[in-house]
Formats: sequence, structure tokens, C-alpha cells
Amino acid sequence: MPNSEMPTGALMLLILRVLRAGPLHGYAIAQRIHMLSSDVLHVEEGALYPTLQKILLKGWVSSEWGISDTNRKVRFYRLTPSGRRQLDAQLAAYERLHQAIQSVLHTA
Amino acid sequence: MPELFRRLQYLLGRRRHERELADDMEFHREMAAREGRSNFGNALHLREEAREAWGWTWIDRLSQDLRHAARMLRRTPGFTIAAVLMLAIGIGVNGAVFGFFNLLVLRPINVRDPATLLRFHRRSPTQYAFAVPYPEAAFFREHSRTLSAIIGVNTTSVSIEGEEKPADANFVTANFFRELGGASSLGRVLDPAREEAAGASPVIVLSHGFWQHHFGGDPSIVGSTLRINDKPAIVIGVANGDFSGVGSGLREPAFWAPITQQPYFVDGSRLLTDVSEESPGVSLWGRLRPGQNPKAAEEELRSLAAQLRHQYPTAIWKDERLPSQPGGYVTSMITGGSRGTGAEKGEPIYPVFALAGILTLLILAGACGNLGSLLLARGVARQREIAIRAAIGASNGSLIRQLFTESLLLALLGAAAGMMLGVLVLRGFLASSGAPSWLDAAPDWRVGAFALAAGFASAILFGFTTALQIGRQRRRANLARQVLVGAQVAASCVLLIVAGLLGRALDRAMSSSPGFEYKQVVSISPGLATNGYSPVRSQAYLDALESRVRALPGVQSVSLAQSYPLGHVTIGAGTDVNGHNVEFQVNHVSSEFFETMGIPILRGRALRPNERHAVVISESMARIAWPGEDPLDKSFTLGDNYVVVGISGNVRSVKFGDSDPVQAYFPIEDADQPSLSVLVKATGSPQDVARAAGAAARAQDPNTFPTVELLSDAYRNNLQDAEYTTLAVSALGSIAQLLACFGIIGVVSYAVSQRTKEIGIRMSLGAKPAQVLSVVLRHLSGPVLAGLIVGVAGAVGLAQLLRGRLYGISNLDPAAYVAAIAVFVVTVAMAAILPARRALSIDPLRALRHE
Repeated sequence: MPNSEMPTGALMLLILRVLRAGPLHGYAIAQRIHMLSSDVLHVEEGALYPTLQKILLKGWVSSEWGISDTNRKVRFYRLTPSGRRQLDAQLAAYERLHQAIQSVLHTA
Repeated sequence: MPELFRRLQYLLGRRRHERELADDMEFHREMAAREGRSNFGNALHLREEAREAWGWTWIDRLSQDLRHAARMLRRTPGFTIAAVLMLAIGIGVNGAVFGFFNLLVLRPINVRDPATLLRFHRRSPTQYAFAVPYPEAAFFREHSRTLSAIIGVNTTSVSIEGEEKPADANFVTANFFRELGGASSLGRVLDPAREEAAGASPVIVLSHGFWQHHFGGDPSIVGSTLRINDKPAIVIGVANGDFSGVGSGLREPAFWAPITQQPYFVDGSRLLTDVSEESPGVSLWGRLRPGQNPKAAEEELRSLAAQLRHQYPTAIWKDERLPSQPGGYVTSMITGGSRGTGAEKGEPIYPVFALAGILTLLILAGACGNLGSLLLARGVARQREIAIRAAIGASNGSLIRQLFTESLLLALLGAAAGMMLGVLVLRGFLASSGAPSWLDAAPDWRVGAFALAAGFASAILFGFTTALQIGRQRRRANLARQVLVGAQVAASCVLLIVAGLLGRALDRAMSSSPGFEYKQVVSISPGLATNGYSPVRSQAYLDALESRVRALPGVQSVSLAQSYPLGHVTIGAGTDVNGHNVEFQVNHVSSEFFETMGIPILRGRALRPNERHAVVISESMARIAWPGEDPLDKSFTLGDNYVVVGISGNVRSVKFGDSDPVQAYFPIEDADQPSLSVLVKATGSPQDVARAAGAAARAQDPNTFPTVELLSDAYRNNLQDAEYTTLAVSALGSIAQLLACFGIIGVVSYAVSQRTKEIGIRMSLGAKPAQVLSVVLRHLSGPVLAGLIVGVAGAVGLAQLLRGRLYGISNLDPAAYVAAIAVFVVTVAMAAILPARRALSIDPLRALRHE
């Protein structure tokens, strides 16, 4: 299975993005990213949880108790309003950067 | 900000958050396993990485390190106790010196709002005085806009019913207690409304110390009548023990009374009306109005003084200023009551503290050096433990951190013990020197911070290098150990030599003549000025007293002087003499003075009776003003023109510290009469003469209260200071010496234990005892020698500093140096050879099997 290393900033953006649809628990976040990237991106525990802690500290997501599909009590992470703002800002910044890189790649 | 807040929440709810995180990650693994993916990462390690995002891992590490350090120290109680004790001594002596400095300079005195208090003195381009005439103070009080209150304090010596010796009374403006926030522990304090009312009856407020010592703390004293100078006064209260007041210096007055009643107690006193600078005057404090600053107050008082000068054109000086200093500290209370021409003398307490600080820091340095080598030796012994810990994955950084934490913990314990020791020492010192009870040795935050800083600095000094050495696993920490031994030797060498120099100086001061006769001389100070005697009346009084005293049996010689050696009065002057700006002590004396005091006239002659415009100068003054010339028949101007008629021997009068006394003796002028003292030289017992002369003075005018003193008593008191200093430095020197010896014993024992095998081989090959000894001592001689050289150089430098302060310290006193070095070498040799002898008793066979 291909295992692409990701910079923390990118992982943070992906986590925020997958949480936009609704609260998820830690494992589900990793699964979602894995699935949506068509099995390209694989999020390891060692990267996911430190990043989650950082996001929690920033106040972009909040945690709440919920029940998993396996009927276990787990923590679900929910995007906060400030997290949503942060996501929009980061997306816009990423979009700009992406376009800039694209235009260089296409014209040069 | 909210992020910081959340971070704190994580710190406080750390256990819960940790559990939740662990839960999350466990669930993650379960799910992954269920989907057939296993994860091989170390769960604990991963969790720690995630936790690091919270930013509190350093606390965990620190507490872990501290726990480990505490365990290590507990395991070797002997080492720990020795180390803490050593540090406690090093930090304690520094803490005591700092604590005293703190009391005098840094800590505000216990009065209301000390920050807005200012102390003023008088200054003009040519003169200065610390006392301000009362009418001038009253004028400021009436007209000042920048100061909300003016506080004046006059100290007068009075006789109190039932007391043998005269006591100090503080006559204060009635606002004294209210302005300074002084409360009474019994009865009431002075109240402006009542004390300033017309026809107010004479009242006094006893100081707490006087009440305790002289009335045994009897509460019924309040309301009773006490006779002061034979005048009845009602005791209205006793001040609180922690109330310092201002103006009394480090001596607690017997009582406070309204200044307006001073003339009632002191017959003929003109304190309230006399504007001249001869008036005893008051020490002046002012309280700044809110929003005002000292500059504005000084500016205002300057212009007020100029206004007042229209009324008193001579008494108020031309261009008089009133410079201020912060008034809420003990320093403002101990600046003298002196006056004179020229510039006032700078604060003498800073150099004294600097000197004490240097000496005590040397002790701390010695203690740190010692501890450093102890830790090094211990570090080598712990090599195994450290190697194991490195092998199971501790990084160099974490090893060093761990070792440094141990040092830090030791330093913390040492600082706490040292602070307690320092407070004890200071308390003992204060108690033995009779300091007032408000001078409280209890540590405040400054003393605590100082002890902590000293501890931290020592931890860096003794701990960091060793931690680095060990952490890098260097087997040979020899260089570091040698430097440490050298530093200790140097520090204790300096202290020993300085102690030797001080001892010699004291010896010289005791054995050599101070330049005057003191054993047989009695002084009688009638204090005519305080009683408002005019010059004419004073002269009549003194003439009569002189002839009465002359008629007493056993009196050899009688003379008059404005100030006398070891007396309390010193008057300074500075003027242009023969093109040199010379500062000297002024005295006005009668012709017989030199004979009474046994001061030799080296050249020329003494003053003649009723002579004017003649002056006798001291040897030092002759040398300074007329270097290489003959000063006889030369003249100089001090108000008037004076011709030098004689050169006298130097008199070390003020303190024995004065090694170059520049003195000038002028004839008595009319204005001096009220401030003269009578000096009597007895042939037989001076005690008898003192008693008889005192009675004669008392009979002359029952309203005066003369002070009679034996100069031999004053002499002894004066020497006591020097004795204390020498004792203290000797004690410091011995402590340093002891510490150095411990260090050397440790180093040598360690060398012996490390080289057991080598020694065994040498012995079995037939080495002689001397050769064996040289093996273990070889590495010691270099650092000891280097330390000695540095130490001697340091001592020479310090002696240079000391020379200005203490009489008889000579720069190169070979005896003191040789003696100190000899003592040092002998003790060091003992300290080295005792453990080294163990090397000689080594059994070669056993030694070879060693390890």
C-alpha cells in the first residue's frame, strides 16, 4: 500500500475538511481520508493524534462523547465555528497556492 | 489568549485528558486490527508524542528528574548532608551580609508610605550641615506647597529620674507619630491638636525598648509622672516596638516629646528661636504631596530659603540649597549630624559592604569548588550507573539534565538552610550590638530571592561543569578537579592573609600609642549650648569650673577643647592651604590642651594663652599642605588669617581607621565657649577625679546635666569595633580553610583509591614510601601552587582597598603573609598526607588483585 508522508499543515487541512460534513471519531477521520484519496493517503496514528491535539488546543474542533458503530463509547470531534473559518481561510490559501503552482507547471 | 487558557485546562485536567487520549488510540488500534491492519508502533511512545502537543511534557520530565534526584540524594545521606552543610555555610555568610545591607539600604523603614518621605540637609557652595535650625524648618512648614508635612527631630541628651547615665531624648514636631503612622502599644501617642494647644502640659511617649529595659514593661507607667532634667512630665503612652520613627539612627531614643516643650526641659535652650548654625537644630524630613517630585520640593525650599535670608542675612547662607535624599530608609537616618565647610563626606557604608561582600563571596566560591570536586568524585563512582542508563537509551542531554537536576536540588536545600543560617547569624549580630527591636532580621522576599539566586548561581558553578564532564563520559575529569582545588586554595588563601593583616593591624592599634594620652584623662561636657548659655556666661562658668577642678586632689592638668580625641564631636573644614585643597579636622583648644592630652609638639611651640591668629597643625597636615617645605611661620586663611606656630604629632582620634589624620588646632574664640568641654588629667585614679569633677560641674549650675566620661572607656569601645572586624574575618578565614582542607582530603583519598593497583605494582617493584606518596600527591602540587599565587595576588589587592579604611594595614606586611602562607601550607600538607598515608599501608598482593 502506498504510504505518502504528509506535512502537518496539509494533514490539519484534511482533518478540518472531512469534519465539515459532521462529527467523526479519530479512526473514522483516518478512514475517511484514506477512502476519499482512493487509498493513496494513509494517516498513521503517530501523525493523526498529535495533530488532533494541536487542533483541539487551537479551538478549531471540540470533542464530545458518542457511540461508535461497534457500540463503543468514543470521542467524536466536531468542527467549531472558528474551525470552520479557519478551514475556509486555509482552503482559500491552498487554492491560491495550488493555482500558482499549476500555472507555473503549465506554462514553463 | 484562549489557546493559553485551554493549554492550562489541559495541565489541570491532565489525568482525564491522558485517559481520553489513551482511549482514543486504543479504539483506533482495535478498529485497525479488526480490518486486518496491525500497527507495530510503541503505544506508549506514540501517546507521548501526541501529548507533547499540549506543551506540558517538561513538567513531567522535571518532576521525574526531581524524583530521581531526591532518590539519589537519599541513598547517600552522608554526602547529601555534607554538601548541604557546605552550601549552607557559603550561602549563609553571604545571606547575613546581604540581610544587613537589606535592612539598612534596601528595605523601607516601618513607617506609613515611606516612598514619599524625603530627608533634607543644608548645602551652600562653601558649607554644609545636616542639622537645620528650627526657625528655618518652621518657615518651610508654613510656606511649602510641595510638601504636605515637615517633620523635625532634635536629639538632646537628658537625665532621667532613676537613671545613672544620660539618655537620648527625641524632641519632635507634634505631627511626628501621625505622619509616620506610629501607633502606641499602650496609652496614646503625640497628637498635634492637643500638644500644640496653648498651655499644653509637658508629656512624653516612651520608646518600647526603654520601657522594657527600665520599667520592666510595667503598664502602670502610663499616666504617671517622670522627672526629666528634674522637670516633671506625664508619660502618656508607650510606642509600638516595631515603630522605627526617624531621626534616631540605630539607637532607640528613651522617649519622644513635643519639640515645643524642649525649652521647658532644657533650661535656657534657644532651640526654637536660634537660627545660627551653632544651634543644635533638627534633622528635617518632609512628605511629598501627591503628584510632586523631589526636584520640585528642592527647588521650592531653595527659593524659600532665599526669602528667609532677607530676614536673617548671615544665618541663612548665600545660595543655600536643601538637597534631598530618600527619607524612608535606615540610610537616611544614619547620615551624620556633622557640619563643616567644603563638601560633605560620601556614604561610608557602601565600601564596607562591598568589602564584606567580596570576603563572603570567596567563602561561597570555596564551598562551590569543594562541592564540585565532591560531585566529580561521586560522578566517577557512579560511572557504572551512568553507563547503564546510557546503554538503555538515555541521551546525553537527558543524562546531563538529570545530573544538573541533582545539583539544583542540592542547591535548593543549601539555599534554604543557608537562608536560615544567615538569619540566625544576623539576629545574633543585631542582638549583640544592641540594635533597636524594629530592626527585624526576619527574611523578606529580597533575602529569599538572594538566597535562591546564590543557590542557583552555585548550582551552575559546581554542578554544570561536573554534569557535562560526566554526561560526556569522560573518564578523566582531572583538569576540572585541579582547577577546583586551585580555586579553593586561592579563596581561602586570600581570607587567611586578610585575617592575618587585620589581626596585625589590631595588634598594632592596641600596642602602639594612638598619639595621645587616654588612660588618665577625664572629659566633662557640660553641654552649655543646649542650655542656651551665652558666650560670656559660658566663659564665666568654665573659668569657675576650671579653678574648682584644679583645686581637686590628684589633678595634674586641666584644659578646654571644642572636641577631643574619641569624643562625639567632629568638625570638618576644607580650604585652600598653600595652593593645596586640604580637608582637615578643626579643633579649638586652650593652651594647656597638648599637655593634658599628652600630644607631642614636634616642632615650634604650643598655643599660648589668649593668643589669636595662631594655629598648630598635625604632622600629616604639614606634609600634605607644605610638602618638602617648612610650614612654621607660614599662614593660611579660614575665615581669618592664621600663622602656623607649631607642628604636633598625629592623633588617631575619630576612629582608629584614620591612618593619616589631618588636624589643625586653633585658639578658642568667644563663639566657641558654649560648646567647650573640660579635659582633666589625673595623677591618681581617674575614676575618683571623674566623680569629684562631675559633682563640681553639677554644683556649678544644677540646671545643667554634664556628661562625664573616662577616655579609657571610650578607647576600649572604639577598639571593640576593630576587634569585631578582625574576629569576623578570622572566622571567615577559618571556615574557608576548613572547607579547603575537606576538599583536599577528598581529592587525595580519591586519588589513592583510584591508583591502588598502580601503587601495588610500584611497591612490589621496590618503590620507597616517598615515591609512593609522590604518585598520589603529584597532581595536587600544581593547583595548590597556582592557587597560592593567585591568592597572594588577590590579598595584595584587597589589602590595598583595606588600607584606606583601617589603621595599620600595610600593603606588604611580610610577617602576615608568611604566617598565613605557613598556616596554610601546614594544614594543606596535613590534609593531603593523612589520606595519602593510606597508600603506604597498601598490601601489594591485595592491591594487585584489586578489580
